[in-house]
Amino acid sequence: MDSKSVMNAITSKFPDIHFVFRESDIRITGRVRAAKVVEVCQYLKEEVEFGHLCCEFGVDYPERNEIEVVYVIGSYEHPVILTMKAILPRDNPEIESVVPVYWNANWYERETHELFGVQYLNHPDLRPLVLTEELYGEWPLRKDYEGFPNKTARNLV
Amino acid sequence: MDEVEQVEYEQVPGTMLTDSNAICDFLKKTKVQDVLNWGRKNSLWFMVNAMGCCGVELLATGMAHYDTDRFGIIPRNSPRHADVMIISGYVTKKYLPALQTVWDQMPSPKWVICFGDCAISGGPFYESYSTHQNIDEIFPVDVFVPGCPPRCEALIQGFVELQKKIIAKKDKGTEY
Amino acid sequence: MDETVKPSEMIVHLGPQHPMMPGPFRLNAKLKGETVVDSEVDIGWIHKGIEKILENKTYLQGITIVDRICYLAAITNEEAYVGCVEKLAGIEVPERSQYIRVIVEELSRIQSHILGMGEYASFLGFVSMFMYTIRDREDLMSLIDSITGARITHSFLRFGGVKQDLPDNFANDVKYVFGNIRKAVDQYEELYATDRIYKARTVGIGVVDADTAKDLGVSGPPLRATGVAFDIRKDEPYLVYNDLDFKVCTHTDGDVYARIQVRLDEIRESMYIIEQCLDQIPSGPLFPEGTAYGRRTPIMRVPAGEVFHRVEDPRGEMGFYMVSDGSDKPYRVKVRGPVYPTLQTLPGLLKGVPVADIVAIAGSMDTCTSEVDR
Repeated sequence: MDSKSVMNAITSKFPDIHFVFRESDIRITGRVRAAKVVEVCQYLKEEVEFGHLCCEFGVDYPERNEIEVVYVIGSYEHPVILTMKAILPRDNPEIESVVPVYWNANWYERETHELFGVQYLNHPDLRPLVLTEELYGEWPLRKDYEGFPNKTARNLV
Repeated sequence: MDEVEQVEYEQVPGTMLTDSNAICDFLKKTKVQDVLNWGRKNSLWFMVNAMGCCGVELLATGMAHYDTDRFGIIPRNSPRHADVMIISGYVTKKYLPALQTVWDQMPSPKWVICFGDCAISGGPFYESYSTHQNIDEIFPVDVFVPGCPPRCEALIQGFVELQKKIIAKKDKGTEY
Repeated sequence: MDETVKPSEMIVHLGPQHPMMPGPFRLNAKLKGETVVDSEVDIGWIHKGIEKILENKTYLQGITIVDRICYLAAITNEEAYVGCVEKLAGIEVPERSQYIRVIVEELSRIQSHILGMGEYASFLGFVSMFMYTIRDREDLMSLIDSITGARITHSFLRFGGVKQDLPDNFANDVKYVFGNIRKAVDQYEELYATDRIYKARTVGIGVVDADTAKDLGVSGPPLRATGVAFDIRKDEPYLVYNDLDFKVCTHTDGDVYARIQVRLDEIRESMYIIEQCLDQIPSGPLFPEGTAYGRRTPIMRVPAGEVFHRVEDPRGEMGFYMVSDGSDKPYRVKVRGPVYPTLQTLPGLLKGVPVADIVAIAGSMDTCTSEVDR
């Protein structure tokens, strides 16, 4: 299965998914509406053999006032990797959790939640994962975070 | 609580009343302390506390090839058995309380070695939002071993320097 | 994990300072008698914000930082990072540099497997095995040292090439060291296969079947031990792996014993790859000719775009997702480490096992906490 047939399979089922470009033969980038993420993932996993969630993370765009949540989905059967983006408003980023489909999204979503402030609906256990409680709520990986660089080191040159 | 009854000691000719600290203070000025320090410097058991890249070199130092047993430097897994804590990496805000607990669990006399640039000055992560800087203000550090990561030989050199400090009574682990 | 404890239950905290792992993480296990009822993994003890730091460093400075993501096999992190930039900027790597990269990466894979295996044996009380493996690993470290100039964190790869050429007489050194390692690996295998206590503690423990492992997103030796031949070097070849002859080592049992066997087989396979490389390596320049790329690349701007590049780490699939906005610093870098999904599976695997098997199962995953926390 190559990228062309994967693209055809997805567009026939979900005509409103907008494919931006193909980087090479085995990479596809697509854009999906935030409300449909779980439905699309379900279809990808069951019908197009995309059984391996490589990673899930956020990217912050303060100028556009948007946060992108990116899903990189691979497969054990074919070498195609699909990059799927959902665009959320920066003031109130909310998206449905994909944990029921891809089990290992659990930690990725917890991490994205505490680093970017993305709210995952219906997530089984949305607690902070890597940060201490004091840092929770500051969303350190957003571009306008003020605690970086940290100037507390005494012997800075 | 009832008040402790005060006992009046009778003055016995030829004896002197003292408490244990006074004996210690007296002994520290004599050759006895030199003998104690000789024993201490030759059995510096360190705790395996791999926290970062330097932790891998820490494991390698204690094992077969570099064989620090020759100097009485033995890796121990429990803080209760250890004399030396090696801070072998970046101390994050989340990890600092755990490290302090480990330090409190170690029996004195005890020493600290800062192993690697991250523990000394922050290393490549000096500007990170989650690491804790200026570790030497929190722990009484005796020896700094620079490098990113330092080689195993550098750690052995660090132990030799610590031994020199102990025998010269200039270490921070013991009160003189 | 449910924090409420019934009268016959108790919660045991393993870690964060625990000799079980090269790097701290905490495992809270709820026990009923000797059996684990439920457990929970708590990470982030050495979270140092590498992704944020990378956004604020130039591309060349970033090489030094990515080294410290996983210190047990640092060179594959560099390969993933440098590969991302090369894909974005469209840099062609000369063939000689590609061969040198493969040699260093495979050497790094061997030392990582040897260290992981020995450490694992020491968790089971087999400390003499740890002594043997560290002794043999030092020879490999000297080999890596002679090429890159560093033992753990190399900063060896550059955009479009490598920092320096192989040293003189390298092929002879490799021949000498590999003779020893071959003997040593055979010896380890015999020790493992004949030790009754070791087998009793590993055979049939922590079994994962292939479908579950795929569902959980596991990769690397734990996945290959279940019989799935998933290896990025074969499925999505990078560098010169297409021209090299090697097989993907698999076992079908999926238990702790099989994971160690897969690592032993991969050591042999990696040695075979390096010997082929040394036979086939062409002479030529290290950097693409007619370009500005060199050991000290000037401040470079990378065309805007997004790329996902993945390589085969000793622990599984290592991927970097890089977003560039056309400036001299990356806009966003996401590190996809192999142990991150593997560590998530621990609570499920530990359900219902005795306390003594916790270290056996957790250790066999060959965790690298630094790469989980980043």
